[in-house]
Amino acid sequence: MSTLDHRPAGTGRLTSFGRGLLRFARTQPFGSIALGVIIIFVLAALFAPLIAPYDPVAQHRDAIQLPPSGEFWLGTDDLGRDVFSRVLYGARTSLLVALATLATGGVLGSVIGIFSGYFGGRWIDSVLQRVMDTLMAIPGIVLLLFVAALLGPSVRNTIIALSLLVIPSFNRVARGQMLQIREELYVTAARANGCGVLRILRTHGLPNLLAPMLVVMSLMLAIVMIAESALSFLGVGTPPPTPSWGLMLSDGSRYMEIAPWMVVFPGGMLAVAVLAFNLLGDALRDFFDPKQIR
Amino acid sequence: MTEYVIRRLLYGLLVVFLVTVFVFLALRLIPGDVVRLQLADAPGVTEEQVDRLAAELGLNQPLFTQLGTFLADAVRGDFGQSFQDGEQVTTLIGERLPITLQLGAMAVLFGVLAGIPLGVLSAVRRNSWLDQSLRLVSVAGISIPNFWLGLLMVTYLALLFTWSPPLVYQGPTEDLSSNLVHLALPALALGTSTMASIARMLRSSLLEVLHSNFIRTVRAKGASELRVIGKHAMRNSVVPVFSILGLQVGHILGGTVILESIFGIPGMGMLIFESVQMRDYPVVLGCVVVYGAVFVLINLIVDVCYGVIDPRIRYART
Repeated sequence: MSTLDHRPAGTGRLTSFGRGLLRFARTQPFGSIALGVIIIFVLAALFAPLIAPYDPVAQHRDAIQLPPSGEFWLGTDDLGRDVFSRVLYGARTSLLVALATLATGGVLGSVIGIFSGYFGGRWIDSVLQRVMDTLMAIPGIVLLLFVAALLGPSVRNTIIALSLLVIPSFNRVARGQMLQIREELYVTAARANGCGVLRILRTHGLPNLLAPMLVVMSLMLAIVMIAESALSFLGVGTPPPTPSWGLMLSDGSRYMEIAPWMVVFPGGMLAVAVLAFNLLGDALRDFFDPKQIR
Repeated sequence: MTEYVIRRLLYGLLVVFLVTVFVFLALRLIPGDVVRLQLADAPGVTEEQVDRLAAELGLNQPLFTQLGTFLADAVRGDFGQSFQDGEQVTTLIGERLPITLQLGAMAVLFGVLAGIPLGVLSAVRRNSWLDQSLRLVSVAGISIPNFWLGLLMVTYLALLFTWSPPLVYQGPTEDLSSNLVHLALPALALGTSTMASIARMLRSSLLEVLHSNFIRTVRAKGASELRVIGKHAMRNSVVPVFSILGLQVGHILGGTVILESIFGIPGMGMLIFESVQMRDYPVVLGCVVVYGAVFVLINLIVDVCYGVIDPRIRYART
């Protein structure tokens, strides 16, 4: 898990990051392509208002369900809205929800995991882990539907539901890592030297957590993006008219035979984004832990 | 072995119990109570009627009394009645669960039958163009959202073969061929990620085993490649594949919800989806608990098989 570090003392943090990036690009071609795709995707989402040729909710009454053309690059939907602009803004929704989920569920799960793994005596650890097992026993979509049924469909509630979905995964990784670190000699040494808990966590815990966390974040982003679309597809996620890939798929599913572009493009974008995050996650895992044959 | 099974079973029961408590408490602790939500649509409801319904549902009692009553009923298989039509929740679930289980089983079957040959092929022809493309296909298979795949299948396979799935669902006892045909496409869409995960896992575990010393010995004594892989290597690389099956259970169960609604299959998924839209809480609650129980049970079976295949696991602390 932990990478041996042979760099000379005094090398700046930034250059070591740059060097790491270069090594990543050299050893992980698929991962690098995936990273490139993700960067393009993030930029497209970020600058959607500048790139999008039309307002994503503007209805062009004289252009209902037109196939892709020079005027409407990816065609128009049943209300005459530009699919390309909607796909761009949909990326925005998708990414925003995914990042918000990581910021809440990911952080919460990690904190629980760190706490449970490092401090958790018999009791606290078992109680927390039983709670995690409970959350994990409910299949993803079912848990999402349940929360949506309780709180009603909205972007905020979607984020709450998705957070519940990712908490156990982050918890598992953080806890496993902490349990391992706790037994390391250098941690015992640090403790013997009188280091406080916070100092041990900062100097030994967090650096060791970084690599597995990056991996799980990438893989979870993929899962969250699919789940958000699935929820919106079922009509209990992002409420219309906010452009969302899941909503676009559910609108388009009624017109598959006559206007396939309404389904093919948002779904394709979703698949590409998820593929990129999965590939990146795999590449990061190989990169940090080359011993494991994948 | 018996001790191992009992230990796993008891733990499974604990988890199902916790799921039930969690679902119940979540439902009661949300702002806005169930009675008002249920009566919200009806015009001219008086406070008196609200109170009466609350008393009828036992909502005016302390939370823990309610929880106790609920658990006691749940143990006897009574989750109350649907708000919609007054039907027993247990009856509703009993009608629909077999359909979902059949769909899930078909998806797993497809995943295993397609995933194993792909994984073996990939490992045997390591780093060839075939291996590279199969690996890319597996990552893609894991990444493609199953509902998008389902949507594409239902349209394009239909156009390609001028065929469309039957409009009305028929049970396996009514019309077996129509039933299987109806479930085939969603099972395919659902099983694709299982297939891809199995292929990936089998490839890496086979590669690991193929590099071990005992395989070299088997080769040295002149066994054919077919025998090396089929008899010696496979047996030792199938354990991680089993763990994938355990991980896929939740994915498949969750996936049935969305694919059932696309393909019009009246299973558990359709039931919970409709109940969520109607805010039919007793049904939603019962469904979540049953989903949790099925998940725990299947994982238990996978774990026990796991212990049978690899005795070392039995003795490890769970």
